[in-house]
Amino acid sequence: MKILVCVKQVYDSPETLVFDESTGQVTFGPHTVFRMNRYDEYALEEALRIRERLGGAVIDAISVGPARAAKTIRRAMELGADHGIHVQTGDIDSPGAFERAHLIAAAARGRGYDLVLAGVMAEDDMESQVGPLLAAVLEYGCATGVIFEEISGNGREIAVEREVEGGSRECLTLALPCVLTIQSGINTPRYPALSHVLRARSSELECIAASSLAVPPPAQSLVRILPPAQGRKGEIIEGTAVEKADKLIHILREHSLLPRQGA
Amino acid sequence: MSGRFFIIALHEGGRIQEETWELVSFARRCGAAGPVMMVLSDEGSIERLAGELAHRTGLDVVGLAGSHLREYSAEAYIRTLVPFFRDASEEEEVHIAAAHTSRGIDFVPQLSIGIDACCITAVEDVGEGSFIRSLHHGRFRAEVRADRAKVVITVLPGAFAPEDIEPGKPGRIRIVPAGDISLSTRSRGTRAPVHANMGLTRAEVIVSAGRGLGGSENIRLLTMLSSLFPKSALGATRAVCDQGWLDYSHQIGSTGNTVSPRLYLACGISGAIQHLAGMRNSGMIVAINTDPHAAIFRTAHYGIVEDLTTFIPLLVDRCLKRG
Ligand SMILES: Cc1cc2nc3c(=O)[nH]c(=O)nc-3n(C[C@H](O)[C@H](O)[C@H](O)COP(=O)(O)OP(=O)(O)OC[C@H]3O[C@@H](n4cnc5c(N)ncnc54)[C@H](O)[C@@H]3O)c2cc1C
Ligand SMILES: Nc1ncnc2c1ncn2[C@@H]1O[C@H](COP(=O)(O)O)[C@@H](O)[C@H]1O
Repeated sequence: MKILVCVKQVYDSPETLVFDESTGQVTFGPHTVFRMNRYDEYALEEALRIRERLGGAVIDAISVGPARAAKTIRRAMELGADHGIHVQTGDIDSPGAFERAHLIAAAARGRGYDLVLAGVMAEDDMESQVGPLLAAVLEYGCATGVIFEEISGNGREIAVEREVEGGSRECLTLALPCVLTIQSGINTPRYPALSHVLRARSSELECIAASSLAVPPPAQSLVRILPPAQGRKGEIIEGTAVEKADKLIHILREHSLLPRQGA
Repeated sequence: MSGRFFIIALHEGGRIQEETWELVSFARRCGAAGPVMMVLSDEGSIERLAGELAHRTGLDVVGLAGSHLREYSAEAYIRTLVPFFRDASEEEEVHIAAAHTSRGIDFVPQLSIGIDACCITAVEDVGEGSFIRSLHHGRFRAEVRADRAKVVITVLPGAFAPEDIEPGKPGRIRIVPAGDISLSTRSRGTRAPVHANMGLTRAEVIVSAGRGLGGSENIRLLTMLSSLFPKSALGATRAVCDQGWLDYSHQIGSTGNTVSPRLYLACGISGAIQHLAGMRNSGMIVAINTDPHAAIFRTAHYGIVEDLTTFIPLLVDRCLKRG
């Protein structure tokens, strides 16, 4: 069994983003910390569990991104991935979802993956489409939002449950090879084992220049970045912490939401 | 926006999903002339579903029917829709919209590849020949333009009010047999949610925590705060439940419980759309968050920029002191 896990590097907290009004670009501030997209941690953990259950499975981790993305691929190897693939985008921080899916597909094609796992969503751009796009490009089956999986039928199919609105689950069985996008909570991701950390440190990543892969031209372009829409304008309660507490208590009492506390 | 405009109506248990009516508003905002409703199902139910759409919207309806469409699967939808849309000529502009729900986001990207279309997801507003969607935890929005003649879009639930559609006379219905396609995906039915929580749905006040809680040791802060209110319960974001700080029966949001208490106290919650989906109809929303730019402050009626670990004890203390 050969498994590919797609891992995206994202910034840790949106507080470090800087918006430059003159260029209309969002850039990373000097204190930005990068890490693996959380949903991809669950995808990787699920791959590790499949390898433990089946024995003999090989796990590759792939990331499309600039030089710093190598750190996230190494992290995947520290957690237990066997092999790391870096599709290097050079100066381009993050190509669009369409290009990313095509780049991953181009790198994956011909390697005989039985199962491709991705996260249900990237925390930064929130598009939720690279997994299913990739499946369609590779002509693999696909299920999104997977919260349970079990390989069956002598390794030819996989039973999955996908989480839908309200927490119900759609149960289906797909033929392998296929792509699953993994929802958080499917498992509890582990910490790296020392042996894996040491091995990851000494192993080489496989680097592929994005420019060397043939992919179709972008399907969409960015017109500009905008500030958030002004929704209902609530009130920010100002003052010292004590004043804020007292004002809030007053507001809640006014609306009969907070009873007086007995002595 | 020129060219043809299709709205894919999803349905569940024989009922058209509510988001479908929002898609009609979206199509209008795009300036679509005479959008066409589409629905996919088996022969037994297609006419009734198509009839409901035609009556409620007054729009023309195409019903694609086949026994492989009895139950939803992405494969069944794509293998039906790709041949249907591929017939449209290369140059012609076509827009196809579906709701950004667990199913919409399941088949729409795959459909886009099959028909060489551009795929734009979680759209919440319309620009001039462009679409607007949120990025970076709702801190920014991106205006994007399609570079293909065909565009497939998922529309964020709640972004377009389902306007009073005045159907006038019902639209025309065309049922198209989609053939009998044998699928490699096998549906095995649906399982009910494991974490429905009556206590939450009945509570008048919900004290709810996000990742900003910092750890399970701070649950006591929430309990302290909630004990000030008589009919109160503890809520949580998915992040909190994933960490195991509270169990999933406390989860509020699109994949958890939907609540509308008189008061919702959001502590250390960023305000992701999937969380807002479960609590935005609360009577009063108060948010406590260290980050003044957190998206939750745009939904909250009252916002307090403070560290919850110091502010909650202070709030409880002031409340008890003042009696
Ligand atoms: C398909 C799908 C379904 C989902 N369904 C749900 C769902 O049903 N419910 C749900 O909640 N989520 C759901 N999510 C996840 C959702 O997208 C967000 O990831 C999640 O809601 C974030 O939770 P959070 O606000 O607790 O964490 P974060 O987004 O990490 O926010 C933490 C906040 O705490 C603040 N903070 C940090 N420290 C402090 C402090 N000391 N005091 C005060 N504030 C502090 C930070 O400024 C930040 O704003 C779903 C996601 C997907 C893809
Ligand atoms: N640059 C990337 N490199 C590797 N995997 C990615 C990349 N972008 C997206 N993915 C995968 O696709 C999933 C969904 O991303 P998105 O469609 O951008 O929300 C992520 O959770 C990753 O598993």
